[in-house]
Amino acid sequence: MDQKVMDRRRDARDREVEKALYARREKIYPREVHGLFAYLRITAVVVLLGIFYGLPWLDWNGQQSVLLDMPNRKFHLFGLTLWPQDFLYLAFLLIIAAFSLFFFTALAGRLWCGYACPQTVWTEVFLWMEQWVEGDRNKRMKLDREPMSWHKFRIKATKQFLWLTFSAFTGFTFVSYFSPQDELFQRLMSLQLGPWESFWMFFYGLATYGNAGYLREQVCKYMCPYARFQSAMFDKDTLIISYDAKRGEPRGPRKRSANPRELGLGDCIDCTMCVQVCPTGIDIRDGLQYECIGCAACIDICDEVMEKMGYPKGLIRYTTQNAIEGKQTHLIRPRMIVYGLLLLGMMVALGYAVATRNPIGLDVLRDRNSLFREVGAGLIENVYTLKVMNMDDRPHEYRVTAEGLPELQVLTDRPTFTVRSGEVVEVPVRLRVPEDALGSRRADVTFILQSVDAPELQTSEESRFLGPMP
Amino acid sequence: MQVFDEVKEIPRAQRIISALWIAFFNAAVATAVFFALIDPMELEPCIPHFPQASRIGAYTIGFLLFWLLTAATSLFTITFLYPGKRS
Ligand code: SF4
Ligand code: SF4
Repeated sequence: MDQKVMDRRRDARDREVEKALYARREKIYPREVHGLFAYLRITAVVVLLGIFYGLPWLDWNGQQSVLLDMPNRKFHLFGLTLWPQDFLYLAFLLIIAAFSLFFFTALAGRLWCGYACPQTVWTEVFLWMEQWVEGDRNKRMKLDREPMSWHKFRIKATKQFLWLTFSAFTGFTFVSYFSPQDELFQRLMSLQLGPWESFWMFFYGLATYGNAGYLREQVCKYMCPYARFQSAMFDKDTLIISYDAKRGEPRGPRKRSANPRELGLGDCIDCTMCVQVCPTGIDIRDGLQYECIGCAACIDICDEVMEKMGYPKGLIRYTTQNAIEGKQTHLIRPRMIVYGLLLLGMMVALGYAVATRNPIGLDVLRDRNSLFREVGAGLIENVYTLKVMNMDDRPHEYRVTAEGLPELQVLTDRPTFTVRSGEVVEVPVRLRVPEDALGSRRADVTFILQSVDAPELQTSEESRFLGPMP
Repeated sequence: MQVFDEVKEIPRAQRIISALWIAFFNAAVATAVFFALIDPMELEPCIPHFPQASRIGAYTIGFLLFWLLTAATSLFTITFLYPGKRS
């Protein structure tokens, strides 16, 4: 690019930055919208928040269905109990979540932002409360301009009361994912919360209140890492929300009965409804902007306007860069295939790992002090310590056997032993073999651990048996 | 498309908030990994004057320490990106 053009562009951008910085942040009063996408978002909000607030109250086999029991270092997920040793599953789950995000972003842009992000979801609920108490956009703006009065104070106080109660409940729900909900509730009611629980409740409640009540679109603009990375996942076939400038321009007001073509106008009546509904306060007609969270509120409202005018819908719509440029949109493209395959592969791998997860663990440690002992009658003895781990969610009784050598004897003080859920028990075991059966200086032996009460629970571990030079 | 693509154009308060927030995020990950590998109850005998706290307490302190560290790193970085005031 030629130097002058670049300079000019930089100057233009600098001016824009200056404007953005020196203009105080104007409070945005999004107008309420109805329509297909608003309906979808409400559904998403209800479902997601329903899950969030409901799960801690749901029991599964007499156990809180999802409990990341940090005090006892175990996670309960719908009957599956995971221990710190299973950390890898969790990491895997997070990677899968990240890849799904890449996948859906490449496919349909900021779907996540518009419908599922906690920031959007909670902001939406806070906005509902605001609308319910303070009224629609014009009433809210008027109220904020008014000087403080008893009337205004009462309205604001009601809103604050709703917001704070809701935030407090959110904080409580958050902590009940980490500390059993029923006990927590009792402690809360009898005002006997521990300091740490109170801290996290307060912290999360405050974060909800601040983010959903006040920061709102600024979180998306300035704090969200995803908003910054998303452009790397976009391509010309990604679904974006876009204003059809070819059809809309030149914009301008006109009578409903007028024929815009005769007036030399496009389909945009310049009613600025799309700007008024925008939660981030941008004008979609200026083109794709990084502030746009893809909430589709402007689509809904503009469709409504088009309908009233008797024009076809879709002046603002979900489309792709290629479609705007009049080219073909490719849904299936190398990027999608790669993301999709990776995602599928990881999900299968995780599913397999969880399905075949063995809830017992066995570690064999050879006694370090002596290689072997001759215990008379031509017998050689090796000493081991077995570490037996029970990662199931109930106790089990176990028995240890060994194989790999003829006439192998297993001696232990505890022929069977019980390991409680989540516990590790050390069991000393001695193996004896007649010297002539051993035949060499070293041989491999296999320890087999089996549960007495649930024989399908079994695992084995190799170790060595050492003897004298033959 | 990006208006603020040079760090110096971002107002101070916003820079600090983003540093704290990203640090928060990383601290959360670090805490999860650290305490998945190490049970704070096992640390107790190793560290003299280890505070008598519950596990949740230990996690919280661990998290806050991690956050302090990550936040300090990012805050120093954004501070030292500028040698001095541009007049
Ligand atoms: S809502 Fe539609 S018609 Fe109204 S200004 Fe926006 S694009 Fe134009
Ligand atoms: S421009 Fe439209 S889709 Fe984007 S944030 Fe604003 S209202 Fe939502």
